[in-house]
Amino acid sequence: MKKNLGVYICHCGGNISDYVDVEKVRQAIEHEEGVVLAKTTMFACSDSNQKEMVEDIHQYQLDGVIVASCSPKLHLVTFRNVTETAGLNKYTYVHANIREQASWAHSDDKEGATEKAIRLVRAAISKSRYAEALYPNKFEAEKAIAVIGAGMAGMKAALSIAEKNMSVVLIEKENTVGGHVAEWGSLFMTNEKGSELVQRIHNDLLQHENISILTGTEVVSSKGSIGNFTLTLQKKHQPVDNLRETMEINVGSVVIATGFDHYIPQRGEFSYLNNENVISLPDFKKLTDQSTGKTLLYNGKEIHDIAYIYCVGSRQSEGENKYCSRFCCISTIHTAIETKKKFKGIRNFHLHRGIRTYGKQELLYDEALQNGDIFIQFHDDFPPEVSFKNKKTSLKVKDLLFSDKELLLDADLVVLVTGMLPRIDQSIGQLFKLPKGRDNFYNEIHMKLRPVETVIDGITLAGTCQGPKNISESVNSALSAATKAFSSISNGLVETEPIVAEINGNSCVWCGECLKACPFEAIEQKEIDGKIIAVVNKSVCKGCGMCAPVCVPNAIDLIGYSDKEIFSMIDALVQ
Amino acid sequence: MEERRKKIEFDALVIGAGIAGGETALNIANNGYKVLLVEKDHSIGGKMILLSKVFPTLDCAACITTPKVSEIARHPNITVFTESEVTSIVKKTESLFIAKITKNPRYVHVEDCTACQLCEKACPVSVRDEYQFGLVGRKAAYIPFSIANPKAAVIDLEQCTLCGACERVCPTHCIDFTMETECFELQVKTVVLATGFQLFDPLKIPRFGYGKYKNVVTSMQMEREIAPTRPYHTILRPGDGKIPDQIAYVLCTGSRDDSVGNPVCSQVCCMYSMKQAQLLMGALPMADITIYYIDIRSFGKGFEEFYQQAKDMGVNFVKGKIGKISEKENGNLILRYEDIQEGIVKEAEHDMVVLSVGMLSNQSVHQIFDGEMLQFDSLNFIWQSDLLGSPAKTNIDGVFVAGTASGPMDIPDSILSAGSASSEAISYLIQH
Repeated sequence: MKKNLGVYICHCGGNISDYVDVEKVRQAIEHEEGVVLAKTTMFACSDSNQKEMVEDIHQYQLDGVIVASCSPKLHLVTFRNVTETAGLNKYTYVHANIREQASWAHSDDKEGATEKAIRLVRAAISKSRYAEALYPNKFEAEKAIAVIGAGMAGMKAALSIAEKNMSVVLIEKENTVGGHVAEWGSLFMTNEKGSELVQRIHNDLLQHENISILTGTEVVSSKGSIGNFTLTLQKKHQPVDNLRETMEINVGSVVIATGFDHYIPQRGEFSYLNNENVISLPDFKKLTDQSTGKTLLYNGKEIHDIAYIYCVGSRQSEGENKYCSRFCCISTIHTAIETKKKFKGIRNFHLHRGIRTYGKQELLYDEALQNGDIFIQFHDDFPPEVSFKNKKTSLKVKDLLFSDKELLLDADLVVLVTGMLPRIDQSIGQLFKLPKGRDNFYNEIHMKLRPVETVIDGITLAGTCQGPKNISESVNSALSAATKAFSSISNGLVETEPIVAEINGNSCVWCGECLKACPFEAIEQKEIDGKIIAVVNKSVCKGCGMCAPVCVPNAIDLIGYSDKEIFSMIDALVQ
Repeated sequence: MEERRKKIEFDALVIGAGIAGGETALNIANNGYKVLLVEKDHSIGGKMILLSKVFPTLDCAACITTPKVSEIARHPNITVFTESEVTSIVKKTESLFIAKITKNPRYVHVEDCTACQLCEKACPVSVRDEYQFGLVGRKAAYIPFSIANPKAAVIDLEQCTLCGACERVCPTHCIDFTMETECFELQVKTVVLATGFQLFDPLKIPRFGYGKYKNVVTSMQMEREIAPTRPYHTILRPGDGKIPDQIAYVLCTGSRDDSVGNPVCSQVCCMYSMKQAQLLMGALPMADITIYYIDIRSFGKGFEEFYQQAKDMGVNFVKGKIGKISEKENGNLILRYEDIQEGIVKEAEHDMVVLSVGMLSNQSVHQIFDGEMLQFDSLNFIWQSDLLGSPAKTNIDGVFVAGTASGPMDIPDSILSAGSASSEAISYLIQH
């Protein structure tokens, strides 16, 4: 039982102290049993306060520290490290969240928020009294990384890992590498073609002996956790023979680079599939790239007037895709400029909802305007109408610049500027249990603090599987993911949290309830001294606690959240 | 002078300790390499540490930056030089760069200073506080800002009258007017440039009246007014201290504007303006906020949803570029603009105007390379020699770029760019 506890109550600038009377909280808890130091601080996480905490721990010989501040998701680790610097076992540190759970949740009731903060801090103090020293579980890590998906992001991630002298397995389900980029012609901002860029990176990959590229291969199962993943790979079904070759690989970390799918318009969406003169942006890019004549021909017909309808499948107010696909504005403008350069008599009409050529892309937008391209902004609620009469395709659109006056426009070709979708095939996500955001792309832990890591240790995200990006943004994200993956296992050792479930073999009667409750497949059935019981695989267990309450004989305790700690917290909360 | 240069050796030099430089230094240092992080300012943390909350998650910026900054400052493999500048870099061989560094005197021994602020109270000289963007004053002996790192006093010798008051009250005798400029010669194997951006100076657009009309402020000033470490503890207009209730945002101030020499989009202003609007609506529930825009560019993850949220909260969006701002006697401002949606020229009255200023290139590293010269793009941002294949590479092998030094970027993109630059630097260190 801890005797010398130090409590810090954070203002968080005003995030907490605007609604919670932090001084009142301090006074309410300073005489709690064992509390020898109770302070308020402007920013508990600031360097100066961290230094002060270390000094306090020495001066007052604290054996337990509690910080009442923001969510532990933000700063639990920060303060654990402070106590460790001062020589305490970092797992004895206890965090109380009085920002998200008190000040922000009850900004309409200052007294109530303060009362709740007091109770939360009391509960934390109670837990601190029982908090035991814990030690991380250490495992040897396999010094190899798997990268799933060999588009630009996957290829660059693999290359960057190989350049750091670590083995990489690059897995691609298609028969060729390069993903969507390989299909594209000239790329914006450089004169390189997509296929050339992919070829260049592919050549770099082939220079490295420590990269194995497995095309036509899928990942069908994954076992294990950071440091030791076992992936089962399967060669895709070959029509020639009926053999389905499978193999297993062991890696310490996995980079997910599964990319995106193009949005495919529904039949009838802006007359798509009902009118052959309506095509999608990827198809149009292919058409202009592959046409060699001086005039652009489509289905044998000369193309001069091209209308581009933007935001098809993106920024939907009704549909599922609320997000902006980010790359389509610049991609379309670039394609329009190139088309005009390459073919005679092209007139471009851009029907858009606000052009988003952010950053230096603006220079290309300027160029398109200089070229005489016509930009018509339509109102979100009045999308253009496409009709087909007398073999002519026309568009009806209301232009914001003309105070919503209706314009009629004939076009030889209508290009639907389709956005990015999260992969429709979500099998990799399901395999690794990757969390998804509201937009259904895979989600990072924290956009700014940990932008490529996922809640599954050892799994990082590269490129557009995390959200729409252009090529250079994808590469930046891929290299970031590669660095994180590399750093986490480069010394051949991983440490995992000691906060895992623990099963008392004497009480366990193997009913299987814990196995059903566990979302991470961390429970195994084992026979020990002739008795069948459940055991926890410490390297897989995440310490989520799902198994503890369903255990009928109460044989499961969560280390760090034992029954005695939790009951003492409940007592303090209702005191 | 040359002989007095102290010789030092590191694996990597990172120039600029903003969020991009800091992230780069951490990534490299976490792989066991020794990093020298050089910052010209008195604190690390760059511009991000001065922000209020960050879009689109509305996380408190200080809460994200301060622990990062603390991690950087305490990292056993990172050495931080504040108030320092790299004056030259020469590439000698593939794995040897020689850099000259000047460390300016702070006139305070940081290791002894407890930031007790007694010097601040004793100092009789009041000047403009650049960390609060001129909203309030500071002393000539001062702590840069409350969450600065290192958190220690600085003597602003240019403003100081050498009265000695600070020295007399300092309980730890850490103030030292005899401190001199130190010069270093650094040997290093790789260099990362993370020199960030400069804010557009709205004095260049006289028709907006910045500097003349007191209630016209920049977005950075508004950022300070709503930050947790805010100077007034409430939001008020600088002219007369009135709490504003009709606030206007003028987007694209100094961006997408050839007339001021910056044709490109700054990428962040739409989003930070919408963020400030949302925070203002929380702080001043009765206030009306209007955003005057050309196009709303909410392109990143969760950004479009954030735009819709701002609309749903009642932020008034008007498509139209502001032509001119004039001041009424009561300090209110008249904005003249073309309402694109209605197709007519209109005037609107607001009691406070925020100019959403953009990002310009920081040209401080333009002259430092001797021998093999660093290349820049048409806007004076550092040129990315392989934009699509290896965005962090510059034209000099072994020199990489992180964050907004290569072009406008938001915080998530800066951090990914820093991840990219550090990855290249680590590979370079392993290969050479």
